[in-house]
Amino acid sequence: MKVVSLVLTLALGALLLLATEDLPNWGDSDSPASLHLSNYYIENSMEQTSVPNLVTSVLADYRSYDTMFETTVIFCAGITVLTILRRSHRKKKKEVKPRPKGQDHDLILISAARMIAPMMQLFALYVVAHGHHSPGGGFQGGVIFGASFILLALAYDLETVLARLKERSVLIMSGIGVAIYVGIGTICLVLGGNFLDYGAWSKVLGVSVVEAHSHGMLGVEIGVAITVMFIMFSLYADLSSGGEMDEGL
Amino acid sequence: MLDSIVVILLSLGVVFFMGTVNGLLRFPDFYTRMHAAGKGDTLSSILILLGLALFTFHHPSVAAYLTGFKIIFIAVLVFIASPTATHALMDAGYEAGIEPWAGESDDNGEECR
Repeated sequence: MKVVSLVLTLALGALLLLATEDLPNWGDSDSPASLHLSNYYIENSMEQTSVPNLVTSVLADYRSYDTMFETTVIFCAGITVLTILRRSHRKKKKEVKPRPKGQDHDLILISAARMIAPMMQLFALYVVAHGHHSPGGGFQGGVIFGASFILLALAYDLETVLARLKERSVLIMSGIGVAIYVGIGTICLVLGGNFLDYGAWSKVLGVSVVEAHSHGMLGVEIGVAITVMFIMFSLYADLSSGGEMDEGL
Repeated sequence: MLDSIVVILLSLGVVFFMGTVNGLLRFPDFYTRMHAAGKGDTLSSILILLGLALFTFHHPSVAAYLTGFKIIFIAVLVFIASPTATHALMDAGYEAGIEPWAGESDDNGEECR
């Protein structure tokens, strides 16, 4: 079985390598992307979406359909790790050597984590909200926010964080993130636009079509951030405790 | 005047960084190496960041001062985070049962107890 999968993987890799032959060269000025697409984005992005950061407008508006499935991929990754690690029949308890009484929480670590975690969370919100104007956006802000929970889980232990952030709510929230994204796109359909055509939101929000594009992007970025943040923590919690959610590191 | 202060801060930072690297490579065991990494790294990072923050005063404008303030903020974060990380690593090493070095080392850096 292993040999078969090895051969299959190698064959697929060889096929993909062969396929790269047909790709245009790196930075080729005659490639279709440089001839039509990039110029269009560069010339029209500002007046169509009023977002100065071109990366954000391409990622969250022009190629929003793509980003929606990127978010779904992250959601699937979290669910996959959970399904692989969580096996109900494997219930043998690990030998966990508890620390001596009074030493189970390190004062220095906890003090530093309590100082840094709120700053991280504030900065994560800034990165999400400021994605229109500076490098950043949903994915980056979500990762920073998720890392703040991981920091707390490292400084205290997994149980302390799970007591405040239930596993069930973590998974529900990561689904809600994807739902926000898809919901914003679907409401565009209801309002008479195309799927993920945020301009349709102008009827409800009472702003111009261009502004509606900008606000729609912020909305989907928030959805992305919620998914990434909770899946990040879910991945850490699963991997550090072998899917058991008991003790962890 | 400002330039000379910036240069002094930056070169001091580089000197301390060299000490850090030297200690990291030459010290005999885990704990002493972490000691060099934790102390020297923090101090030299802060010196270099302070030098860079002062450098922004060349062009007095709100944007430049904002950049300087952000750099100072990074320095504060490093000041909190770096020693804590060193402490956590040391603690983990102690928990894992790494023996502290207790002998003298010869010129080749090998232990002779």
